[in-house]
Amino acid sequence: MLLRYTFFRVLMLIPVSIAISVVIFMIVHLLPGDPIDNLIRVGSSPDDRTALIAKYGLDQPLFVQYFRWIGAMFQGDFGEAIVLRRPVADLIAQNLPYSLQLGALAFLFSSIVGITLGTISATTRSAWVEQIVRGFILIGSTVPGFWLALLMILFFAVQLQWFPVSGAKGWQSLVLPVLTIGVGGVALVARVTRVALLDVRKEDFVTLLHAKGLPSRTILTGHLMPHAMLPVVTILALRIGWILGGAVTVEFVFGRPGLGSLLIRALGQRDYPVVQGCLLMLALAVMLGTLIGDVAQAAMDPRVREAKT
Amino acid sequence: MGYAIKSKLLSGTALIAAGFISTAAWSQEATIAFASGELGATSYNPVTSSNLNSATSLIYDRLVEQDADQSYHPHLATSWEEAADGMSWTFHLKDGVTFHDGTAFNAQSVADWIPDFAETENAYLVGAVASVEVIDDLTVKFVMSRPEPNFLYNLSSSFMGVPGAAAYDSLGENFGVTDAVGTGPFKLESFAIGLETVLVRNDDYAWASDLSENQGAAHLERVTFREIPDQSTAFLELKTGGLDVLLGVPTDFLQILKAESNINVIQMPGTGINYMPINVTAAPFDDIKVREATALAINQEAIVSSIYNGVGAPAHNFLISSLPEADVSPELNVSFDVEKANALLDEAGWVKSDGPVRMKDGEALSVKLFTQNGTEFTALAQVIQAQLADIGMEAVITVFDSSTIRDEYKANRHQLAVRGYDWNNSDILDWFFSGERLGYPNVSMWKDEEGQRLNDVAMKDSKNSMERVANFKAYHEYVLSQHLFVPIYEPTTNIAYNAERVNVPDPVRGTRFRAQTVLDMTVVK
Amino acid sequence: MTSITGTAARALAGFGSTSIGRAFGSWLGKIAGGFLVLLLLTAIFAPWITPFDYAAQDLTNGNAPPGWPHLLGTDQFGRDVLSRVIYGARTSLSVSATAIAISITVGMTLGAAAGYIGGMFERAVMTVVDLTWSFPDILIALIFVAIIGPGLTSTTFAIAIAYLAQFTRLTRAQIVRLKRETFIEATVNLGAKPRHILLRHLLPNAITPVIVVGMLAIGDGIVLEATLGFFGLGAQPPTPSWGAMMSSGTAQLFLSPWVIIFPGVVVAVTVIAVNLFGDELIRALDIKDRIRGA
Repeated sequence: MLLRYTFFRVLMLIPVSIAISVVIFMIVHLLPGDPIDNLIRVGSSPDDRTALIAKYGLDQPLFVQYFRWIGAMFQGDFGEAIVLRRPVADLIAQNLPYSLQLGALAFLFSSIVGITLGTISATTRSAWVEQIVRGFILIGSTVPGFWLALLMILFFAVQLQWFPVSGAKGWQSLVLPVLTIGVGGVALVARVTRVALLDVRKEDFVTLLHAKGLPSRTILTGHLMPHAMLPVVTILALRIGWILGGAVTVEFVFGRPGLGSLLIRALGQRDYPVVQGCLLMLALAVMLGTLIGDVAQAAMDPRVREAKT
Repeated sequence: MGYAIKSKLLSGTALIAAGFISTAAWSQEATIAFASGELGATSYNPVTSSNLNSATSLIYDRLVEQDADQSYHPHLATSWEEAADGMSWTFHLKDGVTFHDGTAFNAQSVADWIPDFAETENAYLVGAVASVEVIDDLTVKFVMSRPEPNFLYNLSSSFMGVPGAAAYDSLGENFGVTDAVGTGPFKLESFAIGLETVLVRNDDYAWASDLSENQGAAHLERVTFREIPDQSTAFLELKTGGLDVLLGVPTDFLQILKAESNINVIQMPGTGINYMPINVTAAPFDDIKVREATALAINQEAIVSSIYNGVGAPAHNFLISSLPEADVSPELNVSFDVEKANALLDEAGWVKSDGPVRMKDGEALSVKLFTQNGTEFTALAQVIQAQLADIGMEAVITVFDSSTIRDEYKANRHQLAVRGYDWNNSDILDWFFSGERLGYPNVSMWKDEEGQRLNDVAMKDSKNSMERVANFKAYHEYVLSQHLFVPIYEPTTNIAYNAERVNVPDPVRGTRFRAQTVLDMTVVK
Repeated sequence: MTSITGTAARALAGFGSTSIGRAFGSWLGKIAGGFLVLLLLTAIFAPWITPFDYAAQDLTNGNAPPGWPHLLGTDQFGRDVLSRVIYGARTSLSVSATAIAISITVGMTLGAAAGYIGGMFERAVMTVVDLTWSFPDILIALIFVAIIGPGLTSTTFAIAIAYLAQFTRLTRAQIVRLKRETFIEATVNLGAKPRHILLRHLLPNAITPVIVVGMLAIGDGIVLEATLGFFGLGAQPPTPSWGAMMSSGTAQLFLSPWVIIFPGVVVAVTVIAVNLFGDELIRALDIKDRIRGA
């Protein structure tokens, strides 16, 4: 049953991907302005502009341009950036590792700290501990990223000189950016963990385990946590898009390359092939995450499988 | 052990220790951060690239170099002659120059290089060149299809750094990406887009231009160029020693930098102007009196002392002051004169009302002021808004990003705009005011018969550089008389460096921070 | 930076499971509520309370430290920081509130339709909505701003889209759950039209949790507006917005830190207050159960 559900969902990816590619293409071409103005320079003549537009096929009707793009992609050619003048695949391949590095580590940080805090707040008997933990959880989500980044730099890099101010050299340069992004993600994970644990705690089988005389700790780690992890994993899988593209502000402040920064720069220059490529990558990652999340949910809840196949 | 032997051993050990310590502590390396306007370059191929950064000039040499006073200095070309009719140029090349891959630089290298420009976006740089003739190994002749008095200027541009022909052909698309071969004082070691470029010294370098004191190989062994988009972060890196040199420091940081004891700031004459173009097709600006009033309402001096903390100079016309064409008749220069501005508006029929805004025929004097995002321009727009309010004109600001704003210009939705340009040649007048470029870059939307005639004469009919200067000056003066824009500010280029780490020659030679300066840089012992 | 899903919103319910916790939380929540009311009043009565015109420049008095008469100092144009922070409240609160209101309206409609109609329609709507939630909200906002242009209108729509998913999911979950309740079946059997059922029975039950989650989303909206302001794409000058004040001040950080610190503190305190008050509401209205199951 699970296999059939998964198969069905994977099959759904195809029409959805195509629909998304159309949406992305439309969005990109809805943007006012065009890349040619970023190419021409003082000294060139007005005719050069028309020549360039023709060279890049920008005077063709939109659907012709779309099919050119999609057609090339099916042959493995992601196109060449108009302003940045490099194959799109190269540009993405150069920037992706940095985003993955940062994203994966931040994800790990949010998960570990979030699950810990969420578990504490769900299981503690002390009201004060609960309030303190709640305070920690709130901190991350109330301050804008660039603000936190700047404060981190000022304190840890300039004042204490423990870490470099910016750049991507060595593991030291990862610490502050990971903390900045990670702290923001803690709140969500903590809250989901908390409610998942509280829900599970009320189940009948837990009362049975208590009656059997098992110590609370064993119940927690052996039975409650595994059950609680599933909704947590579901939520986390859905945030894959964030891992790849959500670090824009942090990348900007810390001077690190990344998919988000590439997208923003290309967006500013209206470099269509790059923007399309990046958005498509992000969209595919997001759909993958949603797929994983749905499958995980289906694995947990048979009703979901039945309702949707 | 005998005293003599012991002392010899000790002194020997001391020498070795000293040698070890000094070489370890004194590594000839420097880290330089790019200015925010030159971030994101994706290739070091000068022929095909649409944007290049400062590191390019270290990898490739040019035939000639331009100094800040507009004079041209020999570099790969030792001397040159222009034919009297302007239809050919002959260059004599320096002997003994080699590319990074060992191949020789000679007339054939030039002949191989020029045709590479065909079909590229940079083709206009050699648009007037019909063919290149190799006269002998060290003499090359450019046969022109039309006179190009601006030829030396083009040759001194970063985009005309000379690439090694053999490598250029064999590397193809990867030239400037995975490897780059020029004759410059540094070789490309690694290039991570959006992050950093590492250059290592070319030990064979012996052909610097006379803009450098150092005529041999560079003192620095290794230079790392970093890309840091956020200005505050760049400043903090400089402060904590993560950077040695920061190019293009915004003026609001200058005060804090000067307060740091180990940081020095060099100010180079700038190569651009900040100004406010006026859309002459949009009422009320179709009335020249209103345009002139707007121009006179802007207090350049106050802007310089407040927003720019006294750094840089007020601009009174369209060109940077080092250009001879900027030397126009004094009465055409634009300066603050609020009484005359008010009088002109009265004359034009815009009268003071009970409210803060002037009225005419029931309409309020309210205009749109567009600008690009970026703290400098938004700050400038806000000050201008306040200064215009002083003459009873209400300016409503909208901030756009650079691509969207061009669309707005082309759709003719603007009235006033605050922007800047970075160019040190008078053909910028053609760029911004030619009737054939309406919308963008001709933000003033100006199309005028006399103006176009003067434009064409300056751009196409100038036979030599003296004529060119005279023609462009005439064009410039006409443009000024029509009040198509308001000049605001002539920025300086600010360079900050850590004086405890590196020495940077001051004043900086040339028009921008380029190879000639890096050649003279040393690490502080 | 973070968004709250229906599931996560449930997590807020039940904070303070012990009676002491309940009392303490409630007291804190009430203070938060009081602060928010104060903020709201300040924003509404801004023109009467601000000591200076927020746009009045005085170039000779730029970057003045806090003191008299400028209680929080001046920015680089000599404008009074206190007045700008007060007006900034107007901008930030109205943009966020409008955005979330739009988001709630559209979200509830979509969610109700999806939940009630079910089948492929529900599947399609939820896929699209899930995609908007999984996509980083800052990117959605930047793309939106690139298309429509900067300014408060696009900021509002960008925030609305970024948080649409929550309300859709919440409403749909409610509808799906309530659809199964017997009294609905009874009403259907009695011949009531779908619209009547939706409006009279289903929506009123769904609306309270939506409003509470909406409050919390306002907090996130303020943070997103600040980030957009940092990129210079939010409120147009000279209209003050907390985000723009924070970003324009980074250069001034060492010369005149008060320009960035005060707006930053105000944003943080406001968002914390919104969160605490939201908790209080959930507890007071005892709607934990309705928030779960989304």
